[in-house]
Amino acid sequence: MTSALISAIKRLHITITPQIRVYSSNVAAATSASTNSLSITKKEWAFQPEYTKPREVWIENLDTIEEQKLGLFELHPSVYAAPPRLDIINQNVVWQRKIRYVSWAHTKTRAEVRGGGKKPWPQKGLGRARHGSIRSPLWRGGGVAHGPRSGKSHFFMLPFHMRILGLTTTLSSKLAQDDLHIVKDLELPTDEPEYLAELVEKRNWGPSVLLVDDTDYAPRNITAATDSLAHINIMPVYGLNVYSMLKHDTLVLTLSAAEKIEERLLHWLHTNTREQSKEFKVNQV
Amino acid sequence: MAWLGSTVLNVFWKPTVNIVRTRYHAEKTRLIKRYGYEEKIWSGGTLPRTLGKPLPIPEYRPANAWTERKALFGQNDYIDILGPGDLHPVKTLYTVPSWIRGVNGNEYQILLRKRKMWANTGSRQTRPTKWKDMEKRISFLYRKLNRKTKTGPSPD
Repeated sequence: MTSALISAIKRLHITITPQIRVYSSNVAAATSASTNSLSITKKEWAFQPEYTKPREVWIENLDTIEEQKLGLFELHPSVYAAPPRLDIINQNVVWQRKIRYVSWAHTKTRAEVRGGGKKPWPQKGLGRARHGSIRSPLWRGGGVAHGPRSGKSHFFMLPFHMRILGLTTTLSSKLAQDDLHIVKDLELPTDEPEYLAELVEKRNWGPSVLLVDDTDYAPRNITAATDSLAHINIMPVYGLNVYSMLKHDTLVLTLSAAEKIEERLLHWLHTNTREQSKEFKVNQV
Repeated sequence: MAWLGSTVLNVFWKPTVNIVRTRYHAEKTRLIKRYGYEEKIWSGGTLPRTLGKPLPIPEYRPANAWTERKALFGQNDYIDILGPGDLHPVKTLYTVPSWIRGVNGNEYQILLRKRKMWANTGSRQTRPTKWKDMEKRISFLYRKLNRKTKTGPSPD
């Protein structure tokens, strides 16, 4: 009876493959093209993730309105799977707003208001209150005491690693909320803005989209298409920032941009940043 | 033995009692206080403003949230991290005048820096009154900070 059961199970040909990928050992880096013409990329980073799994994303296309999945791609968990620290994101946004904010509100003091040199009336003998200048803060049309003085700067420098964390946290939150898409490139078949608007509408990317490319010059068709769509913007990798990522509903990275961001952030996460972490001195940057 | 029977009856049988209400709360008459007094003050809430001109509410003009300046706000703020690493984000704050770009300080410190950077720009000759006012303010603030206010604890 037992032997019959065992032989029945053996006939089922159940094979158990290990589900866990080994990260520590040197797995042969390979871009293995499998069936269905999907390119599945297993990446080898300079700094391997030790305890967390890489995040897998679809590579999409922009040359048809319907979404086509061109392949699978791996993203490093240190960059694209950071803990969602809202406080860090908030600190980064506040920093971005404040570094460029200068209050130009200005009031004149009693010294700067024109006139007021002569004593308006004698000190004694008239039964009136004593006054020495018609530009005193007590007077109408006089100077302002303790008013705002022009050029009030709100500048401060957020610590270097807070800014790195701001980028990783925001990228990770975008990915976790399905608001981050990877596309192969930014090539469009046409330069009409209606095509891009329909594509965004069809794929439910929300009205505003931020496209990030690795190069300074985007292809002609997409620049022409986004020119009249104010809420669809293109940015190079070095222009990416927390505020823009949050202002736009969807973040679309090209393959090379995603790799470049990953490479830069991994570089800073594993480098001695003593020089960058020093206190900011205005004339020394 | 008759009392025994009645006692047993009293223990095991109770007559059913129906409570019948004859006076309801809603039917009670209220006590009238201050009879004949009429309240002059309106207490029925706010009234519509029917007389005179309506309050001057400005016409609602929604601002365009996607002008180029707003859409690309904050670009290049992380250029030292994501770029090649040789450019500081403060260097890209082109909208801020150079004498206050990346500066943090009180009015006296900012004015000193402004004077130093404007000294050789010809501003002293072209806007002499402005320059004089700035010098006057600097000397006023110098006297205020050094002679009339207490300094904070030493940073060291």
